[in-house]
Amino acid sequence: MTSRTLRRRAAAGTPGFLKRSQPRWTERVVKVLLVAAALVSVLTTVGIVVALIPPVVEFFGKVDLGEFITGTDWSPLFEPPHFGVLPLVTATLVVTVIALLVAVPLGLGAAVYLSEYAGHRVRGTFKPVLEVLAGIPTVVYGFFALKAITPFLQRFWPGDDPPEVFNALSAGFVMGIMIIPTIASLAEDSMAAVPRSLRDGAYALGSSRMQVSTRVVFPAALSGIVAAVVLGVSRAIGETMIVAIAAGGRPNLTFDPLEGMQTMTAFIAAAGIGDLPTGSTGYQTIFAVGLLLFAITLVMNLISIRLVRRYREVYE
Amino acid sequence: MTTPPGHGPGGTRPPQPARSVTLPPSETVFEVGGLSVFYGDHEAVRDVNMNIGARQITAMIGPSGCGKSTVLRCFNRMNDLLPGARVAGKVRYHNEDLYGREVDPIEVRRRIGMVFQKPNPFPKSIYDNIAYGPRVGGFKGNLDDLVEETLTHAALWDEVKDKLRTSALALSGGQQQRLCIARTIAVEPEVILMDEPCSSLDPIATAKIEDLMEHLAQEFTIIVVTHNMQQAARVSEQTAFFSSEIDGSGVRHGRLIEFDETGTLFSNPSDQRTEDYISGRFG
Ligand SMILES: Nc1ncnc2c1ncn2[C@@H]1O[C@H](COP(=O)(O)OP(=O)(O)O)[C@@H](O)[C@H]1O
Ligand SMILES: [Mg+2]
Repeated sequence: MTSRTLRRRAAAGTPGFLKRSQPRWTERVVKVLLVAAALVSVLTTVGIVVALIPPVVEFFGKVDLGEFITGTDWSPLFEPPHFGVLPLVTATLVVTVIALLVAVPLGLGAAVYLSEYAGHRVRGTFKPVLEVLAGIPTVVYGFFALKAITPFLQRFWPGDDPPEVFNALSAGFVMGIMIIPTIASLAEDSMAAVPRSLRDGAYALGSSRMQVSTRVVFPAALSGIVAAVVLGVSRAIGETMIVAIAAGGRPNLTFDPLEGMQTMTAFIAAAGIGDLPTGSTGYQTIFAVGLLLFAITLVMNLISIRLVRRYREVYE
Repeated sequence: MTTPPGHGPGGTRPPQPARSVTLPPSETVFEVGGLSVFYGDHEAVRDVNMNIGARQITAMIGPSGCGKSTVLRCFNRMNDLLPGARVAGKVRYHNEDLYGREVDPIEVRRRIGMVFQKPNPFPKSIYDNIAYGPRVGGFKGNLDDLVEETLTHAALWDEVKDKLRTSALALSGGQQQRLCIARTIAVEPEVILMDEPCSSLDPIATAKIEDLMEHLAQEFTIIVVTHNMQQAARVSEQTAFFSSEIDGSGVRHGRLIEFDETGTLFSNPSDQRTEDYISGRFG
């Protein structure tokens, strides 16, 4: 019992024996570093919004907000320009809905399988594979949609009216494939975190595996599952490369997924790499669409937070 | 310790069984013969033989790690859910092999319910906790009535009738455990297995559960694992004493040392190891 700390320690009862013996600054430095790390992300987000504002304000000095929101014709770079953003919004909506129709059932199905049905070994192999899938560059997915899925659909289309070369269906489908791993992996994490004791309780009442999964584990993991889906939606809305390659660059106000259409992100990418002079109205449209995109994602996140608060089952 | 043989820990009077030791002959519900349970290669429990009678309480006592929970889980095939667990030997339920090829573990668990060590209500309302089992079992009748009857049966109705729609997790630990017992009887099982149901509860909550157990034993067959010998003595008709033994090759197995009427086992054990354990002289 003669370790250094013990020998250095002042005897109990000597004046000031309970005073701090370690210097205070190490704690402070660590704290400052951690706060800085947290601030970087917050400040970046704030910075982006702030940078968006001046061009957007200038834009709405020239273009009526009502026309922007409700107009059905988007041709900002032509003469005479039209600034109705609806065709871009509906295109984003159509592609996102298709992507979710693919990704939510398959992603959640994979999550339930991995968490409730698969043995240790299968899960140990599957999860890393899923995560690799999540790392494939989106440009690869885009060409896969354009060069494999679209020709396949055109060749085997049952009706007389096959999809166009650029179409929302292929883009949405492949985007759905792309976000499956995100949804599956996050949803699986939250289902795996549901305590074993709840499953035992359900099995002991004579539940089948499916009943345990859907009636006990799924509701208990709901907040994580919703978070997974919301992240999937955000990725779908923000995804650029796949739609730019496979859905085409033509603003098109339609809900027909067999037609080509330009999403908000595809417009930003196309206009952004063009040589629009800084300060021109065309240049400012990029920021206006960007801010709208940001607002839509934000509103969606807020809604999902409320939904989760209302429906989740808190198990601790 | 200087406690005379047969005396409980702490030098108190020997625990007295609650009921008469002359039992009416009871129909056999479980017949266990040569039962061994393995986890991987480890034989956690070896060669258990016991018969369990209907509508009475059978207690399983013994030091921790001797395989009480393991044996209990054989009675409703909960061991099936543990990777690597394997059961050998005979477990017959009303003369039917519980581990037979045709047997559906889900059907088994609807007839043989289980209450766990730590209360584990679902994070749902009190109502939905009770309704869960009947719902998954395809119950077609009036759920409201069933919930009320069940909670009344479990002596919980008066405490919760005004908050059926609030979360079960807002209840106290003892109430949660009684809710778990109620949830179990809502599917009308014949047997209720309880694995140390009071180990996380205070003495008052424990007394309520013991009352409930004695009340339920009029209709249900109850097998209860407990580390509390007084509890075994108070509530059970039969007691099984398990211990772990090291065999010739140095491996530790849980063994059933003695199984007898509770009064006999506590007052006049026939095995020295039982006597050592109940008198607190256990190593
Ligand atoms: N799921 C499991 N996997 C592997 N070994 C286990 C498992 N459960 C229990 N055991 C082992 O089986 C033995 C008996 O455990 P258990 O039945 O829990 O004893 P008790 O309930 O009497 O305390 C112990 O040695 C324990 O380590
Ligand atoms: Mg145990």
